[in-house]
Amino acid sequence: MASDPTSLPSPSDLSIPNPSPTEEERLATLNLEEPTGNHAPIPRPLSNGSSLSADFDTGNEIEVAEEELLGDSTDLAEGSSSHGGGGWREISEQDGEVASCSPSSSGYAGERGSSGASSGIEEVDDGVALQDDWVPGKRHLDEDDASVSWRKRKKHFFILSHSGKPIYSRYGDEHKLAGFSATLQAIISFVENGGDRVKFVRAGKHQVVFLVKGPIYLVCISCTEEPYEALKGQLELIYGQMLLILTKSVNRCFEKNPKFDMSPLLGGTDVVFSSLIRAFSWNPATFLHAYTCLPLAYSTRQAAGAILQDVADSGVLFAILMCKHKVVSLVGAQKASLHPDDMLLLANFILSSESFRTSESFSPICLPKYNPMAFLYAYVHYLDEDTHLTLLTTSSDAFYHLKECRLRIEAVLVKSNVLAEVQRSMLDGGLHVEDLPVDSSRRSRSISPQMTQENNISGSRPPHMALGGPAGLWHFIYRSIYLDQYVSSEFSSPINNSAQQKRLYRAYQKLFASMHDQGTGPHKTQYRRDRDYVLLCWITQDFELYAAFDPLADKVSAIKTCNRVCQWVRDLENEIFLLGASPFSW
Amino acid sequence: MASIGNNSLNAKLVLLGDMGAGKSSLVLRFVKGQFLEFQESTIGAAFFSQTLAVNDATVKFEIWDTAGQERYHSLAPMYYRGAAAAIIVYDISSTESFERAKKWVQELQKQGNPNMVTALAGNKADLEDKRKVSTEEAQTYAQENGLFFMETSAKTATNVNEIFYEIARSMLFLGVLVSFTSTPATGLWCNGQSIWKCNRISHKSSKEELRTE
Ligand SMILES: Nc1nc2c(ncn2[C@@H]2O[C@H](COP(=O)(O)OP(=O)(O)OP(=O)(O)O)[C@@H](O)[C@H]2O)c(=O)[nH]1
Ligand SMILES: [Mg+2]
Repeated sequence: MASDPTSLPSPSDLSIPNPSPTEEERLATLNLEEPTGNHAPIPRPLSNGSSLSADFDTGNEIEVAEEELLGDSTDLAEGSSSHGGGGWREISEQDGEVASCSPSSSGYAGERGSSGASSGIEEVDDGVALQDDWVPGKRHLDEDDASVSWRKRKKHFFILSHSGKPIYSRYGDEHKLAGFSATLQAIISFVENGGDRVKFVRAGKHQVVFLVKGPIYLVCISCTEEPYEALKGQLELIYGQMLLILTKSVNRCFEKNPKFDMSPLLGGTDVVFSSLIRAFSWNPATFLHAYTCLPLAYSTRQAAGAILQDVADSGVLFAILMCKHKVVSLVGAQKASLHPDDMLLLANFILSSESFRTSESFSPICLPKYNPMAFLYAYVHYLDEDTHLTLLTTSSDAFYHLKECRLRIEAVLVKSNVLAEVQRSMLDGGLHVEDLPVDSSRRSRSISPQMTQENNISGSRPPHMALGGPAGLWHFIYRSIYLDQYVSSEFSSPINNSAQQKRLYRAYQKLFASMHDQGTGPHKTQYRRDRDYVLLCWITQDFELYAAFDPLADKVSAIKTCNRVCQWVRDLENEIFLLGASPFSW
Repeated sequence: MASIGNNSLNAKLVLLGDMGAGKSSLVLRFVKGQFLEFQESTIGAAFFSQTLAVNDATVKFEIWDTAGQERYHSLAPMYYRGAAAAIIVYDISSTESFERAKKWVQELQKQGNPNMVTALAGNKADLEDKRKVSTEEAQTYAQENGLFFMETSAKTATNVNEIFYEIARSMLFLGVLVSFTSTPATGLWCNGQSIWKCNRISHKSSKEELRTE
């Protein structure tokens, strides 16, 4: 049944474009506006040093000419650069992110031969009311591939085996979806046999993205208009999550028996996958490939780091202290380095599984970027409601040693007040755009209340009253390339519900994909205005800045504000980043 | 050290059985006195400890609540290695879980500590109307294999404390019989000293003797 390509429904609707920039990006005009007035560009070579400080002279602006110097000779005239097509890319985009899918689209929904209004793909967006009624685990178990509601879902994820056996499905019971899996598998083998590895199919409003990992196929069907690279990255993470649970040695089962049914091996892990998929729309770590820290006074984080280092020296591979999904501190044994994606998947696994909250536990887990073939053993313990400690080891009988280590760590954390500080930081939140210092010469040195008691802006600001920061700044993300860490501002009131937050992250994600697009080469800056925001992105050797402004924001002030944000982050780096003994720097 | 009654005993206890049989529910009922209608599937194994006073001795259980999910089966030895006691749990409303329990019994007989005190728990006894495994069948099986048997309900708390007490008593009773000249034990020790060496004693008879005390 599966191998005959002529049996595929509506093949004429399938086009297979290259995964390349989306249409509006390619057609976009590059309209360069130079900042005018007394902010004349000053050509200045950027430092190549690994320290962030060189780029952060007070008053230094983001400038077109300066960006050009990164790639070109230093004596390039500033005037020519500003008209040369580089520098700021300005993109106007009128069609919104959440374009509705046309009822005439004939993608996978049409494959079962349905027609008429019932087959129309409507917006069924589960993200809208996340905070209120999100239930862990798989929803809509009653659905199968013949039910209308199943076909209306906006974004599907599947894992299947190369013989077409379903392994995981985001919606519905994977066993009832066997017919659909077989169809997907047929598409894959059809294109594979043609000598072309199928990666991407567009069917009406739907994108179908495939990822082939040996005997395991991962598929995303989406009408969310996310870029191909973003969806592929999500499939990579889902695969990584599967490896974290099973290791890559699961491939051997398929060598022995190609028709091996793998789904029982993932029993009870639906919550893990659904929580990861949910993170794709709220957690920037899923596309930034960086982690984020809980803001803490430098000495507090140092105290936590010192005791973790102590246990790492006693034979623990990694010691990770986190509050929810934010890092308090982490250390690795010598030469061991922890990839931010592994941290994301590990944290997701721990946070999504209620089992870890009940008591201390000792479980095999695999860090796919560290070693996809082997299990490590994870001692996991919640020190309080939100703060969890994970100790990883290669030894399966180290439980009592790790328990010992935990008791030592806990004692030190309690004694040095770290846990209380962590709780306080959770309540205070991170950076608020409203607190962005107006005068960059008067630097705010600290965000922790104990150090700015006389000038605690965030404490005096009434909640939900602020309308964003200066120059219409609504939100920003700053990613330190050197540290593999990012810091993201709290959401300000113009972006105060989860649907808006999800839309903003999707916009960032798109920006990220276009800035890192291999085809058109890396970009240094981008300015983009659409119905919802002004988006600004600035990438240097040391950091990436993504900022969202009011759509009516003035461009020149927005650029100035970005400089101030960078300066601010720089001033606070001791508190918002984990510095020093980073395992990533080896 | 002459009398075990003056001492405390540390004992590693492992729960094994099919996923969903109610291992975590039994432990949570025993340790925290709670029951959750929607108990999440265990990952790897969860560790608990609970001390019981039995007559004038105390038994400190170090409990490993293992995951019944298939992917963890091959890792089970990591948790039952060195255990002094095991509770093998099945769900009386599932013959499949009873078959799985028998497999665990076999595995422990082959791989486990030969002196392990092993109990068979037919859990979810409150689901009488859905019963698939008869009490007689399980009782007979337990006798043939030297296990002591109880039907339990984590939901109603029936026989939950009892099964742990029975295990504690059996271990103390066996401990009294044990010679102090033993080689290092695999999981039962007394004030840091090994007291565990004996030939296999029928748990059934030890239980009866304890009852007649
Ligand atoms: N009616 C009834 N339900 C029970 C009883 N014990 C457990 N359950 C339910 O059965 C389900 C599974 O229980 P768990 O304790 O998680 O089972 P488990 O053996 O730990 O499962 P794994 O961790 O996956 O190996 C839960 O929804 C419990 O509420 C019982 O005595 N009576
Ligand atoms: Mg359990």
